Amino acid sequence: MKVKVNDTELELAPGTSAIDAVFAAGYDVPYFCSQEYMSPIGACRMCLAKVGAPRQDRATGEWILDEETGEPKIFYFPTLMATCTTAIMEGMVIDTLSDEVRGAQNGMVEFTLINHPLDCPVCDKGGACELQDRAYEYGSGLSRFRFDKRHQEKHHALSELITLDRERCIHCKRCVRYFEEVPGDEVLDFIERGGHTYIGTLGEGLPSNFTGNITDICPVGALLDATSRFRGRNWEYDHTRTTGLDDASGSAIIVDARTGRIERIKAALNAEVNKSWIDDGTRFGHEYVDAEDRIKTPLVRKEGELVPVTWEEATGYVKAKLEGIADKELGIVLRADATLEEGVAAKALADHLQTGQLDHCPRPKASVLPEGDAARFTDLATADAIFVIGDVSEEVPAVDLRIKDALKGVSPPASLPHGVPIADLRLKERMPRKAGLLTVAAPYRVDLMRHAGRSVCYPVGGETAFLSALVKLATVEDELSEEEVAALGMPVDEGRALIERLAQAQNAVIVYGSFVLASPAARNAVIALAKAVKAKVMVMGPMANSYGLEAIGVMPSHARYSYQQMIRGGAKALILSGLDPAQDPSVAEALKDLELLVVHHHFANATTALADVVLPAKTGYEKDGTVVNLEGRYLPVRSAPVDGGQSEDFTGLVRYLGEALGVRLDGRSTRSAKRALNHLLAVDLRDLPDEGLLAKAKSRPLRRVSVKEQEAVSGNVLLVPSMVRPEFVSRNPQLRAAFGDVALCLHPDDADQMKLVGGERVRLSVDGTLRKATVRVSETVPQGIMLLPATPEQPVGLVSADLATLVKESSELEVA
Amino acid sequence: MSDAVMGEPTPIISRKDPRYQVTMYRHVGVDGAWTLDYYSSHGGYRAAKKAIADMGVPDVIAEMKASGLRGRGGAGFPTGVKWSFMPPVDGRQRFIVCNADESEPGSFKDRYVMEDDPHQLIEGMLIAGYAIQASIGFIYIRGEYHLAYERLLQAIREAREAGYLGSNLFDTDFSFDLVVHRGAGAYICGEETALMNSLEGLRGNPRLKPPFPAQAGVYGLPTTINNVTSFASAVHIIDKGAAWFSAMGTEDSKGTKLYQISGPVARPGVYELPMGTTFRELIFDWGGGPSMEIKAFIPGGTSTPMLPFSDEYLDTPMDYGSLAKLGTMLGTGGVILIPKEKCMVDAMYNIVRFYAHESCGKCTPCREGVSTWLPKMYQKLLAGLGEPGDLELMEEMVTNMRGTAFCPLADACAMPVQASFKHFRPEYEYLVEHGEPMYPKRSWWQE
Ligand SMILES: Cc1cc2nc3c(=O)[nH]c(=O)nc-3n(C[C@H](O)[C@H](O)[C@H](O)COP(=O)(O)O)c2cc1C
Ligand code: SF4
Ligand code: FES
Repeated sequence: MKVKVNDTELELAPGTSAIDAVFAAGYDVPYFCSQEYMSPIGACRMCLAKVGAPRQDRATGEWILDEETGEPKIFYFPTLMATCTTAIMEGMVIDTLSDEVRGAQNGMVEFTLINHPLDCPVCDKGGACELQDRAYEYGSGLSRFRFDKRHQEKHHALSELITLDRERCIHCKRCVRYFEEVPGDEVLDFIERGGHTYIGTLGEGLPSNFTGNITDICPVGALLDATSRFRGRNWEYDHTRTTGLDDASGSAIIVDARTGRIERIKAALNAEVNKSWIDDGTRFGHEYVDAEDRIKTPLVRKEGELVPVTWEEATGYVKAKLEGIADKELGIVLRADATLEEGVAAKALADHLQTGQLDHCPRPKASVLPEGDAARFTDLATADAIFVIGDVSEEVPAVDLRIKDALKGVSPPASLPHGVPIADLRLKERMPRKAGLLTVAAPYRVDLMRHAGRSVCYPVGGETAFLSALVKLATVEDELSEEEVAALGMPVDEGRALIERLAQAQNAVIVYGSFVLASPAARNAVIALAKAVKAKVMVMGPMANSYGLEAIGVMPSHARYSYQQMIRGGAKALILSGLDPAQDPSVAEALKDLELLVVHHHFANATTALADVVLPAKTGYEKDGTVVNLEGRYLPVRSAPVDGGQSEDFTGLVRYLGEALGVRLDGRSTRSAKRALNHLLAVDLRDLPDEGLLAKAKSRPLRRVSVKEQEAVSGNVLLVPSMVRPEFVSRNPQLRAAFGDVALCLHPDDADQMKLVGGERVRLSVDGTLRKATVRVSETVPQGIMLLPATPEQPVGLVSADLATLVKESSELEVA
Repeated sequence: MSDAVMGEPTPIISRKDPRYQVTMYRHVGVDGAWTLDYYSSHGGYRAAKKAIADMGVPDVIAEMKASGLRGRGGAGFPTGVKWSFMPPVDGRQRFIVCNADESEPGSFKDRYVMEDDPHQLIEGMLIAGYAIQASIGFIYIRGEYHLAYERLLQAIREAREAGYLGSNLFDTDFSFDLVVHRGAGAYICGEETALMNSLEGLRGNPRLKPPFPAQAGVYGLPTTINNVTSFASAVHIIDKGAAWFSAMGTEDSKGTKLYQISGPVARPGVYELPMGTTFRELIFDWGGGPSMEIKAFIPGGTSTPMLPFSDEYLDTPMDYGSLAKLGTMLGTGGVILIPKEKCMVDAMYNIVRFYAHESCGKCTPCREGVSTWLPKMYQKLLAGLGEPGDLELMEEMVTNMRGTAFCPLADACAMPVQASFKHFRPEYEYLVEHGEPMYPKRSWWQE
């Protein structure tokens, strides 16, 4: 459609909003309530413009012509129009520059400011405030309001993570709409009316995994991230755009650091991945970086004590020790959020030392690489049938949000010259959701089930049987046996309906994660199911680079060389990066027999207590490198200026150790690692664009490790994925205050039987490791089982806890 | 007056015309008129039976269109046309909604219809429900209308028992029932989309249009919404025929309508008059004339701009077009007389205060202008603290409020203020200059 904005004519797709036409034409119009990826509502009335269009004669269909000019006559709307809620029409004329329009915009700025406190000098949004900018550009600079401004609460804690200043709020409704439209958690609304309107909750905080996004979209300083409040001015921060390493989504983030410290994390826009949203674990889970007990220098054990040394001395010590150790007896293990570059470095070191004892952890028993047709986030967002096995909202929360896009049935918007549309008119408040396209299965009730047309709780530990029963329904005519029906967790008809829905869909996606990956047989079954119904698959690996590390083969050369074997006596020397296996006392015993234990970590822990050498590790915010997300997308990891002392990532470790060993190993720097990766993968990872690079799906890992399927698993504790990483929670005080401590969830009847009440702190030996947790009682947990967040050392799956070891620590009530 | 001797009969535009018959309001004031016994013994449910049992859906809509009835809720949209906007029947639930939130100051016609003649509304909704093929109707009634609420509930119970509501009505396969929902005291919930939000249990904010209710109304389903007296009119249009209805009124305004008159007048109240009746006839012949000297009148509820009380305006026919020509509106037909002795600034503050209290807070000009700044300016003037420049500021502010808000509520406040400035600016100036009003009896209304 042709439209004309001031003097610029342009062609735009029908359905485009007038405000987007204005921006596409290179003009500006002020706005507060519209927000990319959310419904336009026309509330702030800032985007007014004079709008007109030609008209066709009803009878003849001819354009009505202007008698003087002979051109189609423009009929203007009788009032100025909010351009955000006006769709373009053929021949539309939009004027944003006339005195009438400017006058109205000026008047609206004046209205917006009368009750705004103008406390910019003490406001954290100052310098990055839409109201400040717009008032400057479109206001008169003077106030004619000579009355007391509205006084309201200035430090209202909406939750432990978000503080609301009710005086600053300009009632754009972005935050309120966000909760209903994006995560679908209606936890915030306007209260009172007219000039007394303010936003508030039901008084129970903001129960959602996605609350922090409202601090990004609030146009003023009304909603602020409580971890960063009063810690710096916007112009003092160094903004680093990088990739979040909290989960496998590859969500884009901006790390704002000041004087060497991370003050806050904001969502960055990656239209094809996380759009402009991130979960709270990713946003608020950074405080550990600056924890008091961060290790900042290399340490070597001398006479029983770890004493600070230089990197050269530490690696020299390692080199000396290694001389007495035979090839193949050294083990090297990375945490699964290490970058590809670190992986290359680890491989090069292992190759040099001629050992096959190389691994990453957690590494599920089954491959995390998708087999068959791999689904991208955009496939998920446009799917017409989705089958989820697992708890996406905890495992990879970005997947949860993209599934909710699909439920709205609105495909991702086409990009305009100015980027994502500001007002996508297809989006509406309170849109009906197509819950019917979503089926969620898990061994217990998970949050996404609230949004699903069909929810299935299959028996705990029964993934293989559950999926095999579905495969049977999809592929053979036979009736299911009694056991198979039981494994299905739902009536057979429901199972058939699910299969039919998936099979008939144009664009079906099956999403699975750690529960399925815990068993190769379950994973094979889900692949078979996907083939049978012609669905794409999305695999949620346990960590940020699980995909990448498996793809480049940071893997043992034989099953007996896996991490689990190495730490239980399989290796004589170990270099462990980011892991803490000694939490398990039996492993600690085994580690004591090592000839050399090198631990590369941020913090002192049970394993560093046994280490000969401790090397300071960079956190994910301090590294440069590349990770591969669950789509198979290469994404850049960029270092923020954070003071990590002498921390190095694994490439640094290999550089120092290589120097000590007198070799120049691949991966001694990110540059050399990228060169090696170019050879290995045929992709150039230098200067990756922000949105990453989707390489051709590579589903054949360089190394494959066969595993023996365990016999029927049993246990009383199910280790489950959790958005809040338990290994960091004690050093993330704010996140912990909001989401509570590591929770041991159990059914009310079980709690009664065990004489436990919600909020009690307990200790319990779970699969040999002493775990501390706070009891949470919930009907969502099946009877006879307890849920506990998995850690890298205790990955997702069913394990046994010795109930005799259960000790109550205290009975303070849970905060959150 | 009588029929012209030759040619077309002249339209009926006065209640004094002997051909004129009171219909909608004929039972109001009669003791016991709210019972089914009374109603059915006066021809009750005859029209509903005729529509549902004897007429097809297209016939009913055609009859409504032919009648020329325009919605009596204020906006005056042709009712038959509105009914025809419903999408084709596709198996989804459809709703008919009665807007009985009547909260505009000066309007009280719906109240008496519901109190004394609730069956008339039920019958009207039956006809409309049939015409749009809705099986459920909602009556959203102003929360303060308690007697009307009780009478409606009682009437619905009676109608159900007598088989006028329920399934297979009049031995057809048409089924219909009614739900009465009480408002919680918000004027904005009379705006049709805010009403639907409120009905659904959401915040009473207006929704974006389009989509219009016919496409996505209550719970996102096809919905038609009308005022109480639009439904009441439908009963008589079906009963007596479109021709009877359209014989009354003027070019663009047909039929009979309930006008209201309040203020210092001998007989305030509701009068059913043919459209096109003049203000003079309403005020003098039916209202019995003013009881005080009058300087202005509000033609159709407080949101309509006032007119000076002069011969020039009194002979204006009360119809849509004539009032539009004068820059004002017919609105709900609620005429309010403003006595000369009443300080105009104070009178306007009374109105502004109402809109300030009722603003929903969704959009900026209404929340900050109508609800916050403008009433503060009036308070300042009335406290005797007005300064030079204040009046210009108010005028500019009101200009910035007009036509810029999300829904018509801000205009409903801005337009009467503008009219008061247009006709009575000297009173404002006097107040600013002297620090006290030209007509100082501040507590006039209470006396
Ligand atoms: C602020 C506002 C308040 C309104 N209040 C009422 C009301 O109380 N009763 C009513 O019937 N219509 C009211 N309306 C008009 C309705 O929005 C709508 O036009 C009407 O119910 C349609 O019915 P009709 O076509 O039968 O007139 C109001 C409109 C606005 C903008
Ligand atoms: S708090 Fe911020 S985002 Fe929410 S309505 Fe107010 S100004 Fe808008
Ligand atoms: S009204 Fe707020 S952006 Fe258009």
